[in-house]
Amino acid sequence: MDMTILIVDDIEINRAILTEIFKDEYNIIEASNGVEAVEVLNSDVKISAMLLDLLMPEMDGLGVLRKMNESGQIKSIPVFLITAANSDEMLMEGYNLGAVDIISKPFTPHFLRSRINRVIELYRHRNELESVVAEQVEKLNRMNQSVIETLATVIEFRDCESGEHVKRISGLTNLLLTQVSNTYPEYEMPKAEIEKIALASVLHDVGKIAIPDGILNKPGRLTPEEFEIMKQHTVKGGEILQTIPEIMDAEIYEYSFDIARHHHERWDGRGYPDGLKGDETSIGAQVVAVADVYDALTSERVYKKAYDHETAVRMIRNGECGTFNDKLLSAFAAVEDKVRNREWLD
Amino acid sequence: MALLDELKELGSNVGEGLERFMGNAALYERMLHKLPDTVQKTDVWGAFANGDLKTAEEQAHALKGATGNLSVTPLYEGYTKVVDLLRAGQAEEAKAVYDGLVPVQEQVIACIERNG
Repeated sequence: MDMTILIVDDIEINRAILTEIFKDEYNIIEASNGVEAVEVLNSDVKISAMLLDLLMPEMDGLGVLRKMNESGQIKSIPVFLITAANSDEMLMEGYNLGAVDIISKPFTPHFLRSRINRVIELYRHRNELESVVAEQVEKLNRMNQSVIETLATVIEFRDCESGEHVKRISGLTNLLLTQVSNTYPEYEMPKAEIEKIALASVLHDVGKIAIPDGILNKPGRLTPEEFEIMKQHTVKGGEILQTIPEIMDAEIYEYSFDIARHHHERWDGRGYPDGLKGDETSIGAQVVAVADVYDALTSERVYKKAYDHETAVRMIRNGECGTFNDKLLSAFAAVEDKVRNREWLD
Repeated sequence: MALLDELKELGSNVGEGLERFMGNAALYERMLHKLPDTVQKTDVWGAFANGDLKTAEEQAHALKGATGNLSVTPLYEGYTKVVDLLRAGQAEEAKAVYDGLVPVQEQVIACIERNG
């Protein structure tokens, strides 16, 4: 007997009959009013079904149903209303609040048993399926994440860099975006969204796959023609992502597309490929742009040595790498110590 | 079995009651002995006297459920009528049915207490 029925009725006689009917197949917990019932529901005991009287002192049956709606328990616990033909409005409200069926007094044990057993079985099955689905979704999310990370690492190797660049961009994006979100109400967003954007940021350079080696890894300055081709990595990145939306959680796909295409836009509209101005570029793509520039400046590349932190920050502030949102620069300054100490990598 | 036989004579459907208690006569009798206390906790008469028809209806409703489950048929039928009349707004008629029900109820309770 691993299943429990909660019987809620203020009249002991009614509880005793129901207990007698179900005690051989289920554990029984009795409650004599709504308050006691809610206490049981909030305890560790797993309830398989509830038989609930409507008219009771302290808290009535509808009150219990409302609490179960607030807590979401109504979805996983089938509730049967016990009634001696109460008013139709009350029963209707009970149904609207999620009760599955009505038990009328006087009880008929045989029918009661088969009806309730059937519904309990149905709910047990459904709850089981839901947990299987939740497990699968979790697995799928993990797989999405590893697909994204694998893809990002492939790009890095192509770019003759270690796989560390994307991890740094992702960490820095998370740090900066959290600061921006906490400081400016207009950019406020939930933590889960920040994490999705940070994950999506690792694909910002996916378009580099489509850039010829001779340009991508050229030691020295690019000619204007070569630079035009190089700039195409933003557009190509968007195109590549458009061919694989189904492998990613839709939201992450939107973010990665936006970031891949727009992480070279600038606040004054002089970036590429679309020349977006100000907040026409999403805050996520703006943050990745700063993170990308900072990381490029402080890393060694085939065509340049690494700058130290102070020099990189000065160059960004002076607009030597294009202009950025002032609020974003303030947020960057506020977390500068953490950036210098590479705390975001933890 | 004296209690169940006497209640049967007073019009209770004892066979149906036993069935409801899954044939457990001892439990059925034990629950019948809860009836006097259950009635005692209510005060339908007082509610009628105070013109508190909502309370009268609620309590008659609770007694209807309990007596129905115990298959004390005359009380169940009486309280069913009281509840229906009150719900239909016929307070005077409800009170008249209730007044007729009181002696029957006293008889049933006396029977249960005698057979304790």
